[in-house]
Amino acid sequence: MTEVPKIVPTIVPPIVYDRLRAASSPERALPERTGPEQAHPDADLLTAFAEQSLSATERDGVLEHLALCGNCREVIALALPAASIAAAPVATETEAVRATPILAKDEKRGGLASRVFAWPSLPWAALAAGVAVAASVLLLHPGKLNQATLPPANRPVVTTAQPIPGPQIASSPLPPPMAAAATDQPAEAPRTEARLKPELRLSKKFKAGQVVTPSLQAESEMLAENKIADNKKDSKEAGKVPTASSAGARLLDYNASAIPRSNEAVEVTAESPIVQAEVSSEDRPMARNGAPAIAKAKPVPQAETSQQQNTTSATVGELPLQSRNRVSMAKAAAPPPSPTRARAVTWTVTAGVLQRSLDSGQSWQNALRSDHPLLCYASHDEDVWTGGQAGTLFHSGNSGITWVQVQPSIKGQALSSDITHIDLREDLREDVRGDVRGPAEIVVSTSNNEIWRSADGGKTWEKK
Amino acid sequence: MPKSAQSGPGADIAAALYARSGAAAYGVSAEQFAAILDEILRKYLPQTSARASAEQKADFCAGLRLEELALACACAAGNERAWQDFVSRYRQKLHSMALHITRDGAHAAELADSLFADLYGVNARDGVRSSKLASYTGRGSLEGWLRTVMAQEFINRYRKQKRTVSLEEQTEEGVQFVAAVPEPACTSGRTSDQRLEAATDEALAELSSEDRFTLASYYLDGRTLAEIARTLGLHESSVSRRLDRLATGLRKRILAGLRTQGLSHAQASEALETDVRDLRLNLRSRLTQDSGAKTFPEGKVPAQDAGEGSHD
Repeated sequence: MTEVPKIVPTIVPPIVYDRLRAASSPERALPERTGPEQAHPDADLLTAFAEQSLSATERDGVLEHLALCGNCREVIALALPAASIAAAPVATETEAVRATPILAKDEKRGGLASRVFAWPSLPWAALAAGVAVAASVLLLHPGKLNQATLPPANRPVVTTAQPIPGPQIASSPLPPPMAAAATDQPAEAPRTEARLKPELRLSKKFKAGQVVTPSLQAESEMLAENKIADNKKDSKEAGKVPTASSAGARLLDYNASAIPRSNEAVEVTAESPIVQAEVSSEDRPMARNGAPAIAKAKPVPQAETSQQQNTTSATVGELPLQSRNRVSMAKAAAPPPSPTRARAVTWTVTAGVLQRSLDSGQSWQNALRSDHPLLCYASHDEDVWTGGQAGTLFHSGNSGITWVQVQPSIKGQALSSDITHIDLREDLREDVRGDVRGPAEIVVSTSNNEIWRSADGGKTWEKK
Repeated sequence: MPKSAQSGPGADIAAALYARSGAAAYGVSAEQFAAILDEILRKYLPQTSARASAEQKADFCAGLRLEELALACACAAGNERAWQDFVSRYRQKLHSMALHITRDGAHAAELADSLFADLYGVNARDGVRSSKLASYTGRGSLEGWLRTVMAQEFINRYRKQKRTVSLEEQTEEGVQFVAAVPEPACTSGRTSDQRLEAATDEALAELSSEDRFTLASYYLDGRTLAEIARTLGLHESSVSRRLDRLATGLRKRILAGLRTQGLSHAQASEALETDVRDLRLNLRSRLTQDSGAKTFPEGKVPAQDAGEGSHD
């Protein structure tokens, strides 16, 4: 709605809004919902309408309904194919300014834009990066490459070599002091990354259409993907790229060095939602203020964030070592979601096994297998509940990294029948997109038509 | 295509359509497929079904997504191979569609899974598994249909949740008052309003349905020009020009309508610029001042309206 006045200077008189709204008010539209088959055009007609394959008379009929029915208009808008939404705004130059907020919004909403840019563009991104590296080397050293130029070219390598021990340390058992150091580093990662993101976005905004910026974006995506797959390989890459010592390559380099640690940050913070909330809330404002070069800023924030991290983990009552050990276990089990994809965790129950997908359904991993087959699940953000036969009920507060078995019981009488459905009751706000508050209540339905509910996260239960 | 004068599409045509659909591979017989096509014809060409020429019907059938229709019908009929094909083609797409619609991983999984169950036909009715895929008629692409069905499901679900919330909370918030006050409830002393409303309604009624759809999408739903353009199959700039034209045209027509009702040009312009909702709400709050609970929700409405009105 806020965009409205900008694009079209002519605003309709207020009475027009009023009458339009009166004509298609929900009070008027809702009673029709009771008999959707008669009142609303069926899904076939709506689809054909959106695909422009209706005859003129049918199209008119659908439009006549759509002009009055907000619900069906919303259906049509929601059912627009995903890919072309991201592509459409970029198409015209005049829309470039509007395109960026839309993309940014999409990233926030769950990474539509990142999904579009992620995989298909990888080969091109790699090619473009290669060209950029070669070009910058040639530009800076048009003559001989291997002689006196080495020392300056090495300098960036030194700065970025520092983070390399980070990932390695993190994946091996450690004595307590080093473990503390390892937990320190992750806290810094979101900062460097957060600082980098605006740069990337800025360049995207102002140089839209140039080859370099999309490739940077895609390159960082690629690096992010690689990071998840293999930290060591990436630290090699991080060492390789800066030899080009061009501005673009340096940007990539920082991003690359930031990403492995940002992954760890997610792991550590995923241990407990509280930690995550505190770390992020403390880090973000600082990251926005932080204008100094990253290499300079490094030592100071590490000290600060180590305090933050210690205090936050202290508030949760967990020793750094414990949390770190669990993190490394979790890491061995499954690659953690990267920060930008954290919301894209999807779940499904297949053949009695709970499965998790970190890439919106492209690939699935087994997340939980129980003695008794699992039948259903419910999730809300990082809260996941899954239930199965013989009263099996598990809860995870961290997107499935750790699970706790919950045994609902009332006055010694335990729930022993099959759990067929779990519902996390949450208060939906006005936002259609599902911006929701935390689950207020867990409602479990069983095969013998009992309903068990718990309002305190499964500690106490009542039966209906 | 050869002509035929039978009630359904001609036998030759039916055979050609059947061959094109590849329904045989899914174990749908030619007779079954013809029956399905007949049903679709009855549904979408009801008034012409008796007299429609075979050509008309053949054209209509040829415009259907026959291959996808065959797949959907076979799935609904429980053909194993069709179901396997459907799963391999659409299972992952369902998840990404759901993610696109809900923008939320958890809700997306729920939505996709519940739709998948509907498509498979878990809800047994009279012991018979009834699959939602049976209602697909091939007018649009199967993928587009899945998206639409999912969007409908999402909105239904959202509306349901919203309604349960509002039922619980409306009493304490007094929301039910807003819903319960239809416009006729405050008719007293609103003659100029009524004239303005009448003139506006008239002006809107003169517009084509496409124009009214564009207005509603843009001004009520806050859709972007790009979204509207894609829905209508137009270019963005055409939508932008159309909205410009509509806004100026409406203003002119409403003014003209007001003047035919006896207002001077100045009076008409003034009436048009005043946000009638402010007047009406003032009136309402005056009428309902005795009840604190009733005035509360209305305090929120004018604030929002005043914001919109100030653009003008």
